[in-house]
Amino acid sequence: MTAPTAIDTIRVAFQADLGAVVTAQDLQSVRDRYLGRKQGAVAALMKSMAGAAPADRPALGKAANVLKREIDAALTQRGDTLDDTARPVGSVDVTLPGRALPFGRRHPLTLIREQVESIFETMGFEILQGPQVEDDYHNFEALNMPPDHPARDMQDTFYLEQPMPGGGEGATPPATLLRTHTSGMQIRYMESHEPPVRIISPGLVYRRDTPDLTHSPMFMQVEGLLVGEGITMADLKGTLVSFLQAFFDAGTRVMFRPSFFPYTEPSAEVFISCVFCEGTGCAVCKQTGWLEILGCGMVHPAVFEAVGYDPERYTGWAFGLGIDRVALLKYRVEDIRLFYDNDLRLLEQFPH
Amino acid sequence: MSWLRELVEVPVGPAGAGAGGPTDIADLADALTMRGFEVGAVEPWPTADGDPPDAVLDLEITTNRPDCLSVFGIAREVGAIYAAELRPPEVEPTVASAADTPISITITDPALCPRYVGALADVTVGPSPRWLAARLEAADVRPINNIVDVTNYVMLELGHPMHAFDYATLAGPEIRVRRAVAGERIRTLDGIERTLQPDMLTIADAERPQAVAGVMGGADSEVGDTTRTVLLEAAYFNPISVRRTNKRLALSTDASFRFERGADVSAPIAAIARARHLLAVIGAGRPRGAVVDCFPGPPDPIVVRLRHQRIGHLLGQTVDPAFVAPTLTRLGFAPRLETEGESPTWQVTVPSFRVDVHREEDLIEEVARHHGYERLPTTFPALTRPAQAAGGWRARDQTVRRLLTGCGFSEAITYGFVEREAALAMHVEASDLVALSNPLSEKGAVLRPSLLPGLVDSLIHNRRRERQDIRLFELGSRFRQGAGETPSLAVALTGAAIAQHWTGPERTADLFDLTGALTRLAEGFGAQVAFEAGTMRALVPGRTARIQLTCGAHTTAVGWVGQLDPTLASRRGLPGSRDVYVAELDLRPLTLDAFGRLRAAPVPRHPSVVRDLSLEIDDALPAAQVRGTIWAAAGPTLVSVREVDRYQGSGVPAGSVSLSVRLTFRAADRTLTDAEVQTATDEVVSALEQAYRAKLR
Ligand SMILES: [Zn+2]
Repeated sequence: MTAPTAIDTIRVAFQADLGAVVTAQDLQSVRDRYLGRKQGAVAALMKSMAGAAPADRPALGKAANVLKREIDAALTQRGDTLDDTARPVGSVDVTLPGRALPFGRRHPLTLIREQVESIFETMGFEILQGPQVEDDYHNFEALNMPPDHPARDMQDTFYLEQPMPGGGEGATPPATLLRTHTSGMQIRYMESHEPPVRIISPGLVYRRDTPDLTHSPMFMQVEGLLVGEGITMADLKGTLVSFLQAFFDAGTRVMFRPSFFPYTEPSAEVFISCVFCEGTGCAVCKQTGWLEILGCGMVHPAVFEAVGYDPERYTGWAFGLGIDRVALLKYRVEDIRLFYDNDLRLLEQFPH
Repeated sequence: MSWLRELVEVPVGPAGAGAGGPTDIADLADALTMRGFEVGAVEPWPTADGDPPDAVLDLEITTNRPDCLSVFGIAREVGAIYAAELRPPEVEPTVASAADTPISITITDPALCPRYVGALADVTVGPSPRWLAARLEAADVRPINNIVDVTNYVMLELGHPMHAFDYATLAGPEIRVRRAVAGERIRTLDGIERTLQPDMLTIADAERPQAVAGVMGGADSEVGDTTRTVLLEAAYFNPISVRRTNKRLALSTDASFRFERGADVSAPIAAIARARHLLAVIGAGRPRGAVVDCFPGPPDPIVVRLRHQRIGHLLGQTVDPAFVAPTLTRLGFAPRLETEGESPTWQVTVPSFRVDVHREEDLIEEVARHHGYERLPTTFPALTRPAQAAGGWRARDQTVRRLLTGCGFSEAITYGFVEREAALAMHVEASDLVALSNPLSEKGAVLRPSLLPGLVDSLIHNRRRERQDIRLFELGSRFRQGAGETPSLAVALTGAAIAQHWTGPERTADLFDLTGALTRLAEGFGAQVAFEAGTMRALVPGRTARIQLTCGAHTTAVGWVGQLDPTLASRRGLPGSRDVYVAELDLRPLTLDAFGRLRAAPVPRHPSVVRDLSLEIDDALPAAQVRGTIWAAAGPTLVSVREVDRYQGSGVPAGSVSLSVRLTFRAADRTLTDAEVQTATDEVVSALEQAYRAKLR
């Protein structure tokens, strides 16, 4: 091994060590390793020259001194930059937590309701709110459910002990029950407006169901109604498919199946491809790949007759969607009752 | 399945994939489901060796289709789906002469019972053969004895409920279908003694009721081991009457379930004939005498006009006319072509079992069901007039939510009904409460007269789950007998206003955090809010204020804010002793109208001048009053008054408070001089001295 090679080896090793320096302590230990009087690499190099040929000694000594100055300069320069990163006067530990600002959330059912509203708003629907206490006429009779109609069993009703003032606009009979659906608003609107009609009506409704994972005696519903000349069931399909794909995702498949509601004819139940298994079958969809999402149909002519519309001239459709059910599916909440506990540990998971 | 196959020629089964038929049971189940008969489950059913595999279809039948509460009804649908032939079940040939009528039937109220058919059979009571019992079991009907089983079998097969009386127990051959006499009693088959009312229909012998019509038979005429002769009944009872009776008696049976949905007025004869045939087939009995049919006024069949053009008009797709008539025919309708052509019309006679079909739309649904909803196109209805904006309530509610969530309050939704006691504890008179006549429990006995009981319960729910700092609000209806249903806002707050942080300790929330939030709320509507000391049930006296809202030109007392009575809070389950502050206000006066009329004022171009006054003043004097005096005295250049310090203690006499007020002066058109500001300040000081003997410190 010749001395120049030894010098180069030290130089390369030094550059690597210098590059690894982070703290002032690191820097000192590198200085000690290379320039230390007794143990330093440069001092060892000087010592080793004693064994070199006399003719070579001056050149070698010169080269060793150049190396020493070089290392010293590099260490000094690195030291200057280390000083630059030291904490300035008045500095703080930025990793400490900031002050918590109060931050409230909207209720998940409100979030879903507003999403549904905004999709229908873009399709030109007006958003209406109706009273929760209703009279029998608006909740049942005008919707083709006369007294003693068996379909009333499907909607077990809470009745008031005494009638109370009705909540609707204009002359309205005293309220005698808690509405079982928001459909009463359809009637109220049609009673006071001529077609075309394009409305949705969200709100809380009540059914005398014993609470369990999927039932709550109070829940939120949104009802839609579209009436005009030449409105068809194909329009109903088109509108609901657009809505469901906008709400869930563009790949959602939608299935319409015959059903029965007293206020629509023909009636349909609408299913979407299961959001949990994407249609392959799971426990939630009972291995069918489909989830029931809403009920709908063409407005029954008896309903038009009740509000004074000519059923020969006008056709229309209506649908009803359970906001709670959609929220359970969309947010994968397991128990509908959680929506009414208002537990902040649940509420605070939702966006502002 | 085997029962169904008996009644309709559909080749179902692994080997039975015929032309146009289903490939297997699952395929058939799908086809029924897609036509409105949801098949909930297909359960394999054990069969004897060598027999084709069998299964039980569990179908969901909507309330409008009582005709399909039977195997034959479903067979008819299957026949329409696969264009397969129906095979009506075998019945007793009608041989007995009309003269041979051992019983007499009178109907005293044909409105409640338009038709009553009775016939006798001599029987040997015993167990049913295995095949018959197995079919009942498959349908979840418990086999009892061969006679009762046959009546149930006929009900399941044809959909028509039947009843069998032990003829020997009846007081003679006379059957009277009549209303009950008030107070008349009957012990029904379930062993319960029941008292009847005159609006209930009974089947009586010459002496007393032997059955509650359409609901349940009497125990005294029950068919038992000693029965030698039975009276078989097949009748049509008025659906509303049956429904009322079973509601009144709280007694729902397979029979009443079918009658209240609407039985087939034409079916009784077939049902009796089928039952007598089955009795003979299984060796349980043989007919005695003729079938007696009491049918005072047979109704005319319903005929509905169906226009092909209207089908397309409603569905949005043209359905082949060649599909329409045959489908209706297979479903039991009798369509008669009225006008031919590309878009024909039919006069369709509705069979008596289709109690749900009254008008053209009902027929169109039949066509649509069998055409297939999945084949209808998806189109989008054109807008024919501009969309209407939602009412002011929507922007109002959205603004309230935005403002309050911004203040750290999370939105709650609580039930519309509450405990009576909780309702009375907060804000309302008993006479103003709206009670439910059929609450689920006492916890929901009355409609909420205020949102506070529910919201406080939600706060407590969180407080009991390790949560210290809680801010909640709710927007919703409240219900009062006097005011009706009105929109309301409630807010509740407890815990820290400023959380503990490494820079400093927690500050516990107090009343002023809540009045501050309400002030922010008002500002968000371009409104002002003021608080006046007052007292209110459920709120701590001295820490309660009436909320005055000034929105536009109107000032309204909209509600209350204060500290919740700690005794009440702990009675509702609140742990610990931290204060809870609540507010509730009527939302109706809160509108965004102020912003609708908004005109921006010029931004001030001249500097303002600030003066701090330190006053010693009566500590009972409301700050609002002092502020009012300052505004009145200072003149037009005063632009703001703010209380910046309040101190009581050493150096301040008892009954007084040292109050520091910061006054800001500015003029729109000039820079104010020191002299001008001094004059205004002096006016303020002297007004305060005169009005309240305040002293400048
Ligand atoms: Zn699934």
